[in-house]
Amino acid sequence: MNSNEDGIRAAIAEQAGEWFVANDAGPLDAQDSAALAAWLKTSPVHIEEFLAVSTIARDLKEARTDPEYSLEAILARARAAEDTSVKSLWSRVIDTVWVRPPRRWFPIAATTAGFAVLIGVLLTWNVSRIQHPTAPERIAELHLATRHGEQLTQRLADNSVLHLNTDSAVSIRYSKSERLVMLMSGEADFEVAHEAHRAFRVQTVSAEVIDLGTKFDVRLEQGTTVITVVEGRVAVGPPKLSQNHSAQLINLNADQQIRVAEGQWPAAPVAVDAGRTTAWLHQQIAFDNEPLERVAAEYNRYISTPIEIVTPALRNLRISGVFATEDPEAFIAFLRSLKGVRVAVTATRIRVSGE
Amino acid sequence: MAVADPKPSFVGRLFAEHRAALQSFFLRRIRSKADAADLAQEVYVRMLRIRDLEAIRNPVSYLYTVANNLVKEHAVLDRRQASGVDIDEMPAHEQLATLPAFDGDLDAAQRVARLGAVLKQLRPKCRAAVELRFTQGLAYREIAVQLGVSPQMAKKYVAQGLSHCRRRMARLG
Repeated sequence: MNSNEDGIRAAIAEQAGEWFVANDAGPLDAQDSAALAAWLKTSPVHIEEFLAVSTIARDLKEARTDPEYSLEAILARARAAEDTSVKSLWSRVIDTVWVRPPRRWFPIAATTAGFAVLIGVLLTWNVSRIQHPTAPERIAELHLATRHGEQLTQRLADNSVLHLNTDSAVSIRYSKSERLVMLMSGEADFEVAHEAHRAFRVQTVSAEVIDLGTKFDVRLEQGTTVITVVEGRVAVGPPKLSQNHSAQLINLNADQQIRVAEGQWPAAPVAVDAGRTTAWLHQQIAFDNEPLERVAAEYNRYISTPIEIVTPALRNLRISGVFATEDPEAFIAFLRSLKGVRVAVTATRIRVSGE
Repeated sequence: MAVADPKPSFVGRLFAEHRAALQSFFLRRIRSKADAADLAQEVYVRMLRIRDLEAIRNPVSYLYTVANNLVKEHAVLDRRQASGVDIDEMPAHEQLATLPAFDGDLDAAQRVARLGAVLKQLRPKCRAAVELRFTQGLAYREIAVQLGVSPQMAKKYVAQGLSHCRRRMARLG
């Protein structure tokens, strides 16, 4: 078996694993059943790998690891382990094979063979030596990224928890003196473990946040940083705070939000419902009397087939409600229930038009 | 099988005397690598003949039913029956129990011992997730709580653990 074939086999085994688990986690709905049937029908290799993974799962029930290795010990090691497990599996196949996830973000895609949603989390773990002006210090750097429709939760070395939303990338650098997270794109939510002597800072192209022991959300949208505090308090300032000692800092409390455009400091905080901003943590998006244009743009962050508003007058149609990002079908059904709205679903677009 | 034997009664007698040995021969054959691929091929052909795949309510049960029927009938060697499968109403996990293994010509004890060794090579989180699911029987939600991750991540760990084991076992076999 040459290495390419080996790689394809590995990728299929991985998909088989995901399908097995999706089925194992509970009965598949009609859509997923059809998608799985289609996946199996693709090639005998898919069937072979699915059967093989199934028998591995069966045999595992009998497999005993070392008796001296207690379940508690295994759990303790798992909890302590850095979360790099996603790396080796994905990075090898991601360039060559389109992977179809069992849990579909958009059911229409299930029936379109070539229309696979690529999910994958690329994690790379670099340990590099960086020369500090005063003393050389060993700094660990962790890059995390999610693709379209993917979310990720990661416990960091200091026990802070990072939730990464769709299409997002962060770079995390922990040193003895500070914990620095650079948000390059997308949106991240932080539950910070407080450390008196090591600040937790989040930098973007347009703003910088200093955590004061809290839970907050940072979203980068075309250069504008939107910071929302869920619990506690953060201080917000312009970028490159460490070189700009005279910069004015603004304190942001729970249920407050600030929008900072590039080069536009200072900005004014406004009151918001932070629960709504962070609804994505529960795979939901929430709208309160917002224009359809904005709602569609939000939904498009999560789904593979974008919503397109064909009739300009509909862009300002006001929408309220809470929707599951994983269930665009329900959202489409909701749109169809609105008076004077028609929804046509094609292979590449969800077209919303007036009657 | 010596189908062209000119003395069927002799073959019949031989078969009667060595029934157990012959059956285990077939089982072993099906366990070997080439026949795993043959079996998959045959299941595939049957799946393709189903006109309306969307009508299959439970593809996993269907798959296990077909595979088990093929093994039972030694149909890897006899490909004539290729349609008209009634989905077995047995739960999928019970059907799974009778499926042949896919990792070469090993007996069950060897296979399980090898799997135990492969399991130890998994990354800690994958290993814990896999053990919690399959040896402890925890639900994915509970695994997520135990590992302090989201249920989605818990599923991902189990899926990765499984495919990892599969690949290692295939390489060993």
